[in-house]
Amino acid sequence: MEEIEDNEFVASEHDRLVSAITKLDKTQHITEPTRNEPTNLNSEFTLIKRSNKLNLENVAKILENTSHHTQISKKLKKTQHESKVLSKPLEKPQAERIKRATGYDETKKKVARWDPVVARGRTVDYVSFPLKHTSTKMQPTGEFLSKLKIKSDLEKELEELDPPTVMEEEEVEEPVFPMTYDEMVEHRQHLAKMRAQQSYKAAKAKRQSKIKSKKYHRVLKKEKLKQELKEFEELQKKDPEEALRKLETLEKARALERHTLRHKNTGKWAKNKLIRAKYDKEVRQQLADQLAVSRGLTKKVVDTQSSDDEAAEEVIPDIALAQDPMNPWMMQRSDKSNVNAEFDFGYKKFVQNKRKLKDDSDSESNDETDDANDKLSVLKEGINKLSQEDDQVEESGIENVTQESNEAELPQVNENVKQNIKKVKDKRIHKALIKLLGKSNAKKTVATTNWMVESADVIEPVTPDEILLAFEHNERNLEKIVGRKLKQMRNYVKKLEKASRLEHQRAVQMQNETRERNNLEYLMMKPQKVKPIIDEELIETSSKTVDESNNVEIPLSKTLKPVQPNQETTDSNIDPTRFIEVKPKYLNTAITEGVNAYDQLDDDEQVVPRVNIEEVFEEDDVVDSFRQEKEDEVNRNKLEDISLSLPGWGSWGGKGVKPQKRKRNRFIAKPAPKMPRRDENKGDIIIREYKDPKLAAHKVKDVPFPFESVKDYEASIRAPLGNTFIPEKAHKKLIRPSVITKAGTIIEPMDEEELLVPKNRKFKNEHVLKLLGQK
Amino acid sequence: MKNPKKKENKRYFDTKTEDKGQKTTTDNKEVEVFNIKITPELLRTHKYKKNDKKGFKKPIQKKDNSKFKGKAPIDPQKLELHSRGEGVGKGVRHPLHAEKLKKKERKFNYAQEQAARAEILLTEDHGALEVDEDSKTTAISQKIIAENVDISAAAKIFELDLDFGPYRAKYSKNGRHLLLGSNKGHLAAFDWVTKKLHFEINVMESIHDISWLHVETMVAAAQKEWLYMYDNTGTEIHCIKRMDKILRMEFLPYHFLLAAVNEFGFMSWLDISVGEIVGHYNNRLGRTAVMTQNPYNATICIGNSKGVVSLWSPTVKDPLAKILCHKTPLTAITVDNRGMYMATSGVDRSMKIWDIRNLDGPLQDYRLRSAPVHLEFSQKDMLAVGLDDVVEIYNDCCSKTTEKPYLRHRMGKAINNFKFCPYEDVLGIGTRNGFTSILVPGSGEPNFDALESNPFQTKKQRKEAEIKALLDKIPAELITLNPFDITEVDVPSMQDQMEAKKKLLKMDYTPRQKKKRNGKTFVARRKIIKEVARKEFIEQAKEAQKLLNLPEAQPAKKPSFGVLDRFVSNPKTKK
Repeated sequence: MEEIEDNEFVASEHDRLVSAITKLDKTQHITEPTRNEPTNLNSEFTLIKRSNKLNLENVAKILENTSHHTQISKKLKKTQHESKVLSKPLEKPQAERIKRATGYDETKKKVARWDPVVARGRTVDYVSFPLKHTSTKMQPTGEFLSKLKIKSDLEKELEELDPPTVMEEEEVEEPVFPMTYDEMVEHRQHLAKMRAQQSYKAAKAKRQSKIKSKKYHRVLKKEKLKQELKEFEELQKKDPEEALRKLETLEKARALERHTLRHKNTGKWAKNKLIRAKYDKEVRQQLADQLAVSRGLTKKVVDTQSSDDEAAEEVIPDIALAQDPMNPWMMQRSDKSNVNAEFDFGYKKFVQNKRKLKDDSDSESNDETDDANDKLSVLKEGINKLSQEDDQVEESGIENVTQESNEAELPQVNENVKQNIKKVKDKRIHKALIKLLGKSNAKKTVATTNWMVESADVIEPVTPDEILLAFEHNERNLEKIVGRKLKQMRNYVKKLEKASRLEHQRAVQMQNETRERNNLEYLMMKPQKVKPIIDEELIETSSKTVDESNNVEIPLSKTLKPVQPNQETTDSNIDPTRFIEVKPKYLNTAITEGVNAYDQLDDDEQVVPRVNIEEVFEEDDVVDSFRQEKEDEVNRNKLEDISLSLPGWGSWGGKGVKPQKRKRNRFIAKPAPKMPRRDENKGDIIIREYKDPKLAAHKVKDVPFPFESVKDYEASIRAPLGNTFIPEKAHKKLIRPSVITKAGTIIEPMDEEELLVPKNRKFKNEHVLKLLGQK
Repeated sequence: MKNPKKKENKRYFDTKTEDKGQKTTTDNKEVEVFNIKITPELLRTHKYKKNDKKGFKKPIQKKDNSKFKGKAPIDPQKLELHSRGEGVGKGVRHPLHAEKLKKKERKFNYAQEQAARAEILLTEDHGALEVDEDSKTTAISQKIIAENVDISAAAKIFELDLDFGPYRAKYSKNGRHLLLGSNKGHLAAFDWVTKKLHFEINVMESIHDISWLHVETMVAAAQKEWLYMYDNTGTEIHCIKRMDKILRMEFLPYHFLLAAVNEFGFMSWLDISVGEIVGHYNNRLGRTAVMTQNPYNATICIGNSKGVVSLWSPTVKDPLAKILCHKTPLTAITVDNRGMYMATSGVDRSMKIWDIRNLDGPLQDYRLRSAPVHLEFSQKDMLAVGLDDVVEIYNDCCSKTTEKPYLRHRMGKAINNFKFCPYEDVLGIGTRNGFTSILVPGSGEPNFDALESNPFQTKKQRKEAEIKALLDKIPAELITLNPFDITEVDVPSMQDQMEAKKKLLKMDYTPRQKKKRNGKTFVARRKIIKEVARKEFIEQAKEAQKLLNLPEAQPAKKPSFGVLDRFVSNPKTKK
């Protein structure tokens, strides 16, 4: 037993020792698991991580060494070789589209190379054909020179002594193949590249077309838009004209949007949403957004120039008619602002006028009164509204409106009244509201109440009892409320009156009368009918006259502007020298036979004749009659004022009744002012102003195409071309035809060498290139 | 003293001739002569200089150092003289046309430059009389002049004593031939330089006026009754009976018009190239024999007994302009070659110079000792004044007030008319008994343009020139105060046209709508009818109910579902 114990003891001791020793060594020893015994259960921890795929290459490698197995190894390798499955070819139309696109790009590039050549040909003075002048025959330099040279005797002698070696002509090999090897390779590469590009594009397109994600497309769209915007901005900087053209595409989008029903909330989605819109704020918002999108797209792009005037109108904030922002249907369209402007009447206009007046007035007190006026007008407006509402109530009563709706409206009315009264309360603050104001106020309010009562009485009980009852109930309620409020108001007014009376006494002392008058003017009632007082004379414009204002409308007016003959400008200014009488100069002329021939005088002496014989011949009426003639001539072409007044129209007419002077003046149509005559301020000279139809037949009546102004056109035809007017050389230059062809030669079409000609390559007129490129 | 060879480059419409006198005088002093050998390199640099001012600066600078400096610079004043005015601006926006116009403009500039350069070829200078400080030019008689000039020039002083009363003389356009016509029917044409007689006839009728036609082979004579035409052998080739009792004639060479005024004040323009009268009307001025043409615009100036000068064109039956020149009847008018000045004289012994181009004046007012019978401007703007038997020639009397005559010739016989010979310093005077030719140094244009009018014309050249002139004939309608009218756009009619176009655009093109009955469509009307029927029915129902006094059917109270009430279908009640 002991022995066993000992043994056990020893064993355990030994184990301990071994473990202790092993613990000394810190390194971990992983023993590769070995399989000793075949077992069914393999520990998963003892599995070796190694692919159990047979590497055929290694196998083949072994086989390779032996010549006997080469065949087998080759076969093995072949099986090893992976072959990809070709992707499915694109649909035919798609593939063709891509083919066309790439083809188009290629051809475009190819054709565009000719742009400078064509553009130069168009702009150049003349083109002479055939384009190639050089002789096709090649001449060796030696041969060419030998023709020119005359050999001197010395040279000849020298030649005899030492004959020059005859240069052997180099045989220029004609290329047998249409393409060299390099070229062929290049061509092939090019084709391969093309094909590859095509396939890439096809693959990309296919992949993209497969994407169904809406989000992706949305993002794509947005990206595109952003990109376009960026480009557009760049373009704006670089080329504003092009940018403008881009804007036109926007117009196109607008048209597209207009003619579709997109974003119009007519779709199924929108209809579904509409049902929920009543209760859901978000849905309403969504619908509004949709409409906003459509509005944004269909908004007309206005020119910055033309919109300048309209902008001013648009700026005016429309507070009174501000609508519920949540209501998609009532959202104000920006292009409707004009319409609103048209309907600026009543209160709104009043407020606006006030605003203007306020700006004008300087004094504070004035402002105060203005404010008071505003309040008053607000009050008036409120009461008017009330009455209108009441009217509505009446109508609704007649038209079988249910009780519910009536009741729904009633609180609104009440609210309105409350608001008005609140405003009146505010008024208390303004102590400057003087007596007059109070009076007018009181009157107004009384009037409104009367009307209210009457209108209540007028209603005839035709409708069913139920409705009548309901209506009367409403009426009573209203009356009560209004009456209460009015009482309050009257009280306020009385208080105000008292205050104002005191205030007035003070004001009389303080304020000067003029200011008060101003205030009174503000309070004055406007005349019921505003009559336009036209004391201006009507101006009748005839087509022949150059009317500036008329011209402004014409887009072509620009062309006419510079036509103003400059003579007029000079003539209209009175030249003082013109009126300086030329001093007669007495000349020492020879004495003719009739007079004493030998009465010689000193030539230097001025001789004044003793008797004025000319006076004998003079006829004074010659001058007078000539001046009369001139006056007649001037008056002949003058258009008379036309009186358009109708005696008896709007006033009494008949014998002895003189029409009012004002009326007469109003209806006199004055002819348009004529251009000043050429002979104005010229003294005793008459220049007839006439229009010769025979001459007009020869004259140009229209400015031809490239010209936009008469001045430019006239400048282009100002110089003569004939050789009697200008030197022959210049004449020849001016009349040279634009295309010169050499007679008797075949004119070959241009070949690609023309692209390399420096003058064509240097052509850099961008505008012309662009213009021709467009075509 | 005098140069017989003269050249000129003159046109009706030529503006460049302005200040020619001034220019030629400066020529002598200021002309610099550059001896330039033109090399290809020089040409190239010049080409670059002209065409591309920016791109080729370097070569020019290089050449500055070299021997040759390129083409001689052009005097800017001369260049300005040949200017045709402002060119086309930047108004044309079409790039292609703008480019083309720019090129054209360059050519015009080249033409201007060439013309300025070509002035170097006008070698001849006009002569003048030069005297000492204390002596006067008037003291120099023809005799002295003849002694001092070369023999060929001296031969130009001659006198013809002819018996057939007062003679009128006219030179042909090139100044080589002279036509004489006397009041008593003597008609003669001859080459006055060689004195070779073309023909000499007596038409056995009084001759009132004579005129050369476009060539020296044809002359026109206004005889007692009608207008006759003769060729250079004196054969009568035409008798134009539509033009009768003619007092004065003027030939307008560029329009091929023979303008005439007759005793009754009828004016007629005969187109001699087609034999058609293009204008014939009464001027309502009465009988007047004071007539001249304005070479600038081919209008006819007629002076009447009331001292008024009126300007006429064949197509307009009223005077284009009228100027009250004198308070007394006019005795003579003349207009200078450039159409700048007009000289008039009246019975009141005054002579006035007018600015006829601007229709303004008078520029000068001279008082003479006797009334002039005839006035004439020379090509160089010397004014010859005929005073009974004395001819006085004034130099430079238009722009400034002259003090004394330049030349005076007294001949002891009454003057009928006189003409300066073109391209010669000669004044030919038709007198009461013959013809006198005197020398007036510096009166004629020294440089002639052989293509325009050639004094040394051969027969072939003449024929060629005739055809060319016919091709260049200007229509009679273009005779207006401003000869440049044709280069201007007819703005009034253009405006009319544009206005008409505008009206056309404003037209409403909406087609007529088919008529709706009572302003309603069929569908709308049907609706209305239905509505009316329905209302009627309701009314009736109500009435019936009232009559029956039935209690109105209370709408059954709907079961309430609380919050879910909203989902209960609520059919809309139709009003």
